[in-house]
Order: sequence, then structure tokens, then C-alpha cells
Amino acid sequence: MGVGVGVRMNSVAVGLSRDLAPKRVMRAVAYGHDLAVWRDGENGLHAWDNRCPHRGMRLSHGFVRGDRLACLYHGWQYRKDGGCAYIPAHPGLEPPETIRAQTYSVIEKSGVIWVSTGNDAQGVDTGPVSEPLRSLTFFCAEAIARAAFEDTPFAGNLPQVESTGRLVAGGHPVAVLANPVTESETLIHVLTSAGVGIAAKKALSRWCEAARSVAERQAA
Amino acid sequence: MTFKLYNYVLSGNCYKIRLMAALLDVAYETIAVDFYPGFEHRSPGILALNPAGTLPVLTSGDMVLTETQAMLTWLALTYDVTGTWYPVDDPERLATITEWLGFAGRLSQSAGLARLHDMLNWPADEKAVKAAAISDLRTLELHLNDRVLEGGLWIAGDGPTIADIACFPYTALSPDAGLEHDGYPAIRNWLYAVRALPGFVAMPGIHYLHDLKETSGD
Amino acid sequence: MSTEYARNDWYVVADVNQLAAGQVVETRLLGQPLRVSGSPDAPLVTTADGTALPAQLRYDHIWTSPGADPRPLPDIAEAAERDRTFVPCGGVRVRCSPLRAVENFLDIAHFPFVHTGILGEEPHTEVAPYKVEIREDVDEVWATQIGFHQPQAAKSATEAIETRYEYRVPAPTTAVLYKTCPPKPEAWDVIAIFVQPLAENECIAWPWMALYDEVTPYADLVQFQQEIFLQDRSILENQKPTLLPLDPRLEIPTRCDLTSVVYRRWLKRKGATYGALTTAA
Ligand code: FES
Ligand SMILES: [Fe+2]
Repeated sequence: MGVGVGVRMNSVAVGLSRDLAPKRVMRAVAYGHDLAVWRDGENGLHAWDNRCPHRGMRLSHGFVRGDRLACLYHGWQYRKDGGCAYIPAHPGLEPPETIRAQTYSVIEKSGVIWVSTGNDAQGVDTGPVSEPLRSLTFFCAEAIARAAFEDTPFAGNLPQVESTGRLVAGGHPVAVLANPVTESETLIHVLTSAGVGIAAKKALSRWCEAARSVAERQAA
Repeated sequence: MTFKLYNYVLSGNCYKIRLMAALLDVAYETIAVDFYPGFEHRSPGILALNPAGTLPVLTSGDMVLTETQAMLTWLALTYDVTGTWYPVDDPERLATITEWLGFAGRLSQSAGLARLHDMLNWPADEKAVKAAAISDLRTLELHLNDRVLEGGLWIAGDGPTIADIACFPYTALSPDAGLEHDGYPAIRNWLYAVRALPGFVAMPGIHYLHDLKETSGD
Repeated sequence: MSTEYARNDWYVVADVNQLAAGQVVETRLLGQPLRVSGSPDAPLVTTADGTALPAQLRYDHIWTSPGADPRPLPDIAEAAERDRTFVPCGGVRVRCSPLRAVENFLDIAHFPFVHTGILGEEPHTEVAPYKVEIREDVDEVWATQIGFHQPQAAKSATEAIETRYEYRVPAPTTAVLYKTCPPKPEAWDVIAIFVQPLAENECIAWPWMALYDEVTPYADLVQFQQEIFLQDRSILENQKPTLLPLDPRLEIPTRCDLTSVVYRRWLKRKGATYGALTTAA
């Protein structure tokens, strides 16, 4: 199964594991759904509908205390299973079971966070090419973004496209994962392999930016 | 008294000085200037102090400073007993810091102006300033991701410097202009690190990290 | 979407400072472009085709109404008390429903998290029971007997106090807060929010204050209020859906949200649905 080719699967890459530390929350989009993706204090990963059941505040603006995600607006706290555990305005109140955040299936594989809107998130195994390089947004459709990597020279030479769909740029293996955020915005995650040195990684990071310029010029 | 700050609460540039002073634990006097809706920065009193009519203005004794980069430098050299916020003995690091102080100036013209436009209906070429702001956020993201690849976090070297403080406000406030941080993970984690610094103070649009408080509700 | 009810209310479209400075303000109201010009005493509001709309100066702002038969502009009696300081705080544009902006103004439970260290602070998060009613004789929503622990209730407050609050909603986009006045405990400070609906999902909020405070410099008063309102702005731009749901099943209130519950019910009953989500869950 190819990485970097438009494979049909039930999950989408929303971020690099490296970029979400314990007790942090971020916003993500999966198949058009606005999500809050967060890690509890024990490194457990959660993906929820990005909407507090109370007054609709985006939970991605919230904060993590212990193993709970709290909403920034009124501080309501939600357990890992999505159920509301605490309402600060009424400290003595046991919140009814009906107050719960909608949860999604999420896993980590190849150093990447994958979310499914069904109940069985899967990740792509990128083999040894699972060293995080960076995530970056392209203002263009997914297909244009993907193609741009193949069309952008690295140090003067176009990357080779392997049969697995992986690219080799300047001798460095690269996996490109794409999350179509909208028709005109794509979040790209780029992985390389662990043996690549810092200088080469920085060069690859700039090559990603060059690919973005190619893609966005084409989309304009 | 240490110094006086002619201050506007919603200004990211004024906030740079409030934040730096808080992190250095320096007390000072503020004089509120009614930038909006009063346009008091254009009043004869302020223009006499700063003919450019910009905020903030910092005075100490006879010294009058009108550029935030100069103020940050002066604050660090005067009040930072650790010598880490503006490390004068490291030429390369100091040059990197100066580089990003210049960048911070550009950022207030892009993301800062976009914010004034969206929030207070300031006249601006909306498309142009927002494109410039995105380009600036991308520049910062590239650099901060380099730092992550190096095992670092801060703009210059192993700890926070005045470059981080100079770049922080208008980056953190870009969502005020509809420019969210979702596609900028290195920026997002760096913003968090600044907010987690001991002595950090917030401003409207940048909330305190409630997760650093003791747990309640158990 | 219906502007039928909304058209016959009065709305702020500029403040007195803008006209005093000779500005011509190009703005919008209920989706239609408007121009505000003239002087504070003789303001002129015109639509794109040059039609003049009624215009009046009240509470340091210029008000207009596009309707054929506008309801009376809400009366705020304290505006006549000449020993108060009147503070128009300028307009702030927010990408949210005008009704969400008003509802946020009526909410106290968010103080510890959004106005940390000023209007609230953990662990003082509890909201005690209070009273809410629709006063049928005047057709207004009133919330009374509200108390909350506040670290710095006003610029004039020197220490944390238990602040008393009363809220009044005389029109869907106008809300008035009566609040303990630290230097003059027998009187109320008055803080109002006049919300100009640019569209259903975008508004300009014009905070205005009528205070007893002879000590604090004017610029500090303006900035105190701006600081608070701008803390709310980033919340308001992140509520989903953007429109205010009137179906009680769409968002889950608790006891402290009684004002919001009654406000939503009142809007629904009146058919004041501009900026509201009226479809069922
Ligand atoms: S909206 Fe989340 S706690 Fe109120
Ligand atoms: Fe508020």
C-alpha cells in the first residue's frame, strides 16, 4: 500500500505525535468535522467533536487538568469517556450523564495521529520512514499538493517516486501524508527516516516550502 | 519609580513591554492613553513626547524611548540579573535576536494591522495585510520547526530571550484577525511555552493557562 | 432568516466621537450598507439608494431604525444623572451572532475563566441562585439578586468584593447591567452593551458606561471595559454554531444559565430570530 498516493481508507492524519505533548489540546479537521484532539496526563490520546455541549465553545481552546479536558468558557470538565465530571458554577452538583462530548476514534502509528469518524481508526505503516519532519498547510486541493512534491526539485534534481509511492529527495526517503481540510486547503505531514541528519532535515523542510509555492501558484 | 509606560491595553506592542516587565518582576507606572476610540495618541501631549504618535512610549528620567525593540533591550540590560534575556557575550546569538526583533516590527505591520482592521475597523488593505501576515507566520513556523529539529524550542538558543517576547504578541493575537494557529504546530507549542513562563501576564485575546493551576473538581 | 421583527428596533451605528471628528462612517445594518454622517446634534443616516433613515443621538451614540414603525428606543434613566461619568467605549467588530454577544454579556459563570483576576477567580466559581423574570408590562427580561466574588469589580475597586448585579434586556440587542459601585455603595454603576447587527453572523458591540467615579482617569475607564470585552471576543468567535440556538435541545444549560434560558425563550416568543438558529435539533 502506497504512502503519498491517494489511498482510500477510513482514517486521516491530523498531526504529528511529536507536536502534541501530554496535557495539550489542538484543533484538527477530519472529513469536514471540526475536532479537539488532546492528550491526558498519562499520554492517552482523545479526539472529540470540537463543541462543548454547554454553550458550543470550541473545546480546542480548553485546557487539560489531570485526565480531564476543561472548556475555556465556563470551565466544565469532561472525563476521558466524554462525560461531564464537574461544573464549576455548581461545585456540589453531580452532572447528569446526558452531558457528554461526542468522541471519535483516534490512534497513533508511524509517529502520526490518525482520526476516524467511524469507530476504528487505522494508521498507515510508513515503515522506517516515520521520523517527524513537519506539518504545514497548503492553500490548494489535496491532489495539487501531492503532485507538487513530485514536481519540485531538491538540490536541482526531481525526487524519485518509489513503487511504494514514497519519494526519495536528495537521497533522503520522504513520506507525504495529506489531510484535505477543505477543497482549497490541505494539511500536509512530512516524515523522513531516523538516519537523516539535522542539516538535511532543514533542507527537506525548505523543499516542502518550495513544493508549497509550486502548488499554491498552480492553484491560484 | 523605575519607568513610566504610556500604555494602551489592546496594543500588542504595549503588551510586549508589560510582559517583559512582568517576567523580569519590575514594577512600573502606567499612563493609560485612549488610543481608541479617543485617538489620544494624536493629542498634543503625546505628540510632544513622541512626534511619530505611536504607542507605547517609555520614559525613565530624561530618557524617552518610542521603539519597542529599544525598550526590550533597555529593560533586559537594566533589570535582568540573570543576563539571559539579552546575552551580550554571545555575538551570534545576539545577532539572531536582533534579526527577529526586526521581524517583530514587520509582524506588527502585517498581523498587527490585520487585527486592528478586523477588530476596530481600522483602515487597511485587508487582502494585502492578511497575505503578508500569513507569509510572516510561515517564516516564523519554518524557523521554530528548525529549532524543534535541533531539539530546541526558543527563537534563539536554549532559553527565552527578548526576541521571543517581541514576536509573541502579534503571533498569539493573529486569530483576532481570523488567522488561526491550527496549521502551525511549532508556533502553537512555542506560544504555550511563553504562556507557561513564570510571571507571565495575559492580555485580551491571550488567556492564562488554567491548566497550570491546581486541580479543582475532584 | 427574518428581519421582520428586527427592522423595528433601534440600533447604534456610530458613536458621538466619530461624528464630532467629522468622520463619514460607512457601515452595515441587518445586511444593508449604511452611511452615517452629519454632526452629533444633526446626524444623518442614509441607505445605499440615498434614502434617509431616522437618526438620533442617545447615550453618546447615533441610533437608527430601518423599520416603518420602530418600537421606542430603550430608556436608561441613569443617563440623565449629570454627576455620572459617561463613557462610550468604541465599537468592536465580532464574527458572531448579535444575540450570542448579548447572551455572553448576561453570563456570570465565565468570569473566573475568561476574566481571570478581574471579574472572577478560581476557586470562587460558584453561582448562587438568583431570580429571572420577563416583566410583561414593559416586555423586558430582568435578572436580579445576583452576587459574585470579584477580585477587581471595577477600576475604582481597591480589593476583592462580593459584587451585586442586576441585568436588564430591554431589546434583543440592547442589554444593561446594574452593578455595585465601589466608591458609592448606595448607587449602581451602569454598564450597557449596544449591539449593531451587521449580519446574522457578524456584529459590532458598543459598550457604554455611566459610572460614579471621580478619581480614575477617563482613559483608564475606557481601557478597563475594553480589556473585559476583548477577553470575551475570542470566546464569541469560537462558539458553534455561530447563530444562537433557540431550540432548548441544542445546548445544555444548568441552573446558573437561567438568564440565558429566559432570554432565548423571550426571543423565540417575540419572533426576534435575526441571528438565531430556529431549526430543530
Ligand atoms: S461552553 Fe463550555 S463550559 Fe460553557
Ligand atoms: Fe465576559
